[in-house]
Amino acid sequence: MASGGAVTRRTFVVTGAAALLSARAPRGARSVTAREVVGRIQAHVGVPWREKTVDGFKAGDPDTAVTGIATTVMATLDVLHQAAAAGRNLIVTHEPTFQGGADDAGPRGSDPVYLAKQAYINEHRLVIWRFAHHWLARRPAEFTRALGTALGWAAGRDPANERLYTVPATTVAGVAAHIRTHLQIRGGIRLVGRADAPVRRIVLSPGTTDLASTVANLRDADLLVSGEPREWEVVEYVADTAAAGTPRALIAIGRVVSEEPGMRACATWLRTVVAGVPVQAIATGDPYWRPAV
Amino acid sequence: MTARELVARIQEKVAAEGIAWRAETRDTFKAGDPSTVVRGVATTGMATFDVLKRAAAADANFVVTHEPTFYNDKDLTDGLETDPTYVAKQRYIAANGLVIWRFHDHAHALRPDPLIAGSVRALGWTQYATPGDPRLYVMPSTTLRALAADVARRLNDHGLRVVGDPDMRVSRIALGPGYGIPPLTADIDVAIGGEAAEAGGNAEYAMDAAAAGRPRGMIVLGHLMSEDYGMQEIADWLHTFLSDVPIRFIPAGEPFSNVQ
Repeated sequence: MASGGAVTRRTFVVTGAAALLSARAPRGARSVTAREVVGRIQAHVGVPWREKTVDGFKAGDPDTAVTGIATTVMATLDVLHQAAAAGRNLIVTHEPTFQGGADDAGPRGSDPVYLAKQAYINEHRLVIWRFAHHWLARRPAEFTRALGTALGWAAGRDPANERLYTVPATTVAGVAAHIRTHLQIRGGIRLVGRADAPVRRIVLSPGTTDLASTVANLRDADLLVSGEPREWEVVEYVADTAAAGTPRALIAIGRVVSEEPGMRACATWLRTVVAGVPVQAIATGDPYWRPAV
Repeated sequence: MTARELVARIQEKVAAEGIAWRAETRDTFKAGDPSTVVRGVATTGMATFDVLKRAAAADANFVVTHEPTFYNDKDLTDGLETDPTYVAKQRYIAANGLVIWRFHDHAHALRPDPLIAGSVRALGWTQYATPGDPRLYVMPSTTLRALAADVARRLNDHGLRVVGDPDMRVSRIALGPGYGIPPLTADIDVAIGGEAAEAGGNAEYAMDAAAAGRPRGMIVLGHLMSEDYGMQEIADWLHTFLSDVPIRFIPAGEPFSNVQ
């Protein structure tokens, strides 16, 4: 009965979605709203929903009929342009949308860039929903697993520690070159330690990287691949470890770049949760570039 | 003069500048015995293990650091007690009779902020300063690409990263120290500083601004590339009232190298 019901619903919703591309649903037509999509996510995410969380609607009307879903690391205006052009009016974002950590406009409330973004969202009837805490809370860890898979290292994943990977013998520079060919990096790779140091074991730490997990994991590894390490924390620790005579290295690839595979995995997962609505991942892209000196 | 007495002299000088010593502050002893007699002073952006080795070799046993010694803002050592890196660093400090003291909060309170002044001097931008706004620098119009390349050359900065349209014209620059990159607004073209979260701030603003047809830029120097030069200013400042002990600047240097 469950599967039969799902097929019926899927067929119905696809028909409805096609009619809804203009976002003007005929009254009475069955479709799924953004609020209902979020309800399905909450029911299937597999971790208890927190009372206090950054996850929630950040812009748009939650009762909007969903014509398509776009997942992304960061709902930049460029990502919103791509989503609107593709008819994906529900944007599921990992990072904040309004240029502040709490998605609070703060002093930017009258800023022309902030206002242009809000106007675009309203004009195209987009809905933005943030999915950070709960996507991060899933186990196995989605971002780490997806980054390891994107780098082609899935076979070397340590069964006892999901952040630890064993790779064919290489060097720090070899790993950096490998990362460049597997991830969409424009300018973000930075290296701490010796480029010619041998590497067999790697700790993956997408997003931000905290000291405690680094201290614990780096004992068993040669190299830390991090999204956004802080210079007065993990960067100093790795440099000091090398200076203390224990060869360790760090490759920083950028927070957004490190999180893109995890939000592609989120799109794949959403297809299993929300039937009948097209879901795609839209890359935010590496924010950084380097000048030629 | 002991390290404790030297710090008291610094505190007197800060008070003479009209700055009250804060009850809660990062500016405290981090390692070593404050009763140690000071043979030499080294200022640095960060008391890394490598900096400590150079300080000991130069017989500068009192290290004035701007950034943490033990890998977190409060220099908390919980969880590090058995870590081999931490233990090796503490042993080196003890074996060489070093004393480490942090000078951060009250250094930034000096006017002009020496941490910004050091960058401005290294960049050669003194003539672009704006009276009344210590963060604003107005220079002849150029492109973001050309500005970024010039900054990287002048600071010898290999890990410098840029957000924004490389061909946008820039003239009005907001310069902040360390993690304090000024927020981008409609009134400035490019914000420059040491280190910033990639989400929830200037990076997103610069990307949104480009898509909205109002290009803005951000240049991220690296934390030490932004503040190390300022600790030369601190060494110069210490010279003005500490004549009885050798004082030198030991650059922590950029921790990153660029790999292609």
